Amino acid sequence: MIGCYDFCGHYEWTFEWFRQQGGEPLVREYWDEAIHRDSQIHARELIVGGGIAGMKTYWAHTLDHEAAGFAITHTDNVIRIDMHACPSKGFLIRNGLAQYRDYCDHCVGWIGPMMKDAGFVIDHEHNHCGQCWWEMRSQDDSTPPSAPGGLSGREDVRLRADWAATDATDVYQRATDPDDKTTLVRK
Amino acid sequence: MTRDVDPLPYTDTKPVGAADFYFATNATFRFILKRFGMKGLRRYWADIGMTYYRPVTERWQRGGMTGVANYWRAFFAAEPGAEVEIRETADAVTLDVRTCPAIKHLRDNHREIVPCFCQHCYFVSEAIAEPAGLTVRVRGGNGACVQRFIKREAGEESQDIRHILEAA
Repeated sequence: MIGCYDFCGHYEWTFEWFRQQGGEPLVREYWDEAIHRDSQIHARELIVGGGIAGMKTYWAHTLDHEAAGFAITHTDNVIRIDMHACPSKGFLIRNGLAQYRDYCDHCVGWIGPMMKDAGFVIDHEHNHCGQCWWEMRSQDDSTPPSAPGGLSGREDVRLRADWAATDATDVYQRATDPDDKTTLVRK
Repeated sequence: MTRDVDPLPYTDTKPVGAADFYFATNATFRFILKRFGMKGLRRYWADIGMTYYRPVTERWQRGGMTGVANYWRAFFAAEPGAEVEIRETADAVTLDVRTCPAIKHLRDNHREIVPCFCQHCYFVSEAIAEPAGLTVRVRGGNGACVQRFIKREAGEESQDIRHILEAA
């Protein structure tokens, strides 16, 4: 039986299986069709129907269920997630699992198309070490992402010493597409 | 206990997995079935058994039937909602799956289950077992089944897929 305890391991392995079968386009189709529109249909119903309130409900439940180290900050116009200890990337790092070139892309891979349908855009940055931050705003709101500490205060992952020590991060700006990213080299 | 003798090759900090991940496994099977057909889905199951689960094969090669039994005890202890009795003899390990955690969670959440969902237990386990000199026979499904891990040299008749029920 394929279990849920080590889900992130075989999920990550599956990305590379798809890449070998049909290239990167098939991986994107998998994230959108199988994960966003099938597996995570409960998230889609909450978020497309409920906007920021739906996001808060979904992520508070899901990240708690997955035992993540995280903080959620929200106003009427924006929701921010600071991920200090991503449970799935942490699992992969601890177990030495890395088949696909960038596991972290899968989050924007399924969340991005969902946010597009909900009328939101994503500012996001991840460091491939299990830490990242997200800000979701209406596509009609041109407010730039917050400065470090400006929205989530001391919970802001960018204030961590190990965040500053990261060699490179992947950055998404007002994005909904997993390939709409730039790599920021810090050293 | 060293990592080398841990019955599970991949371990987490939390004691049991998050059941909502069964949604993704079910959706993955549906996606592959739609894109590649049954032949492609069986290839996926065989590939994941032979590669991702290769460390399980190695545990079964080293530990024999005890290694098989220890793996499944640890496995089902980490799957939320599983009710499974595991019996071990010198020649076989039998899993009496009274409540399949995946089927239960998918059903409880009103998810459309891929009809051939239960076949994955046969095809994945067979891919893990074969290099260890073992084979598996599955009977039942759709929430409860019996899985027997036996030695290939015993020469049992091959798995009849009709003995694995469709899930709904």
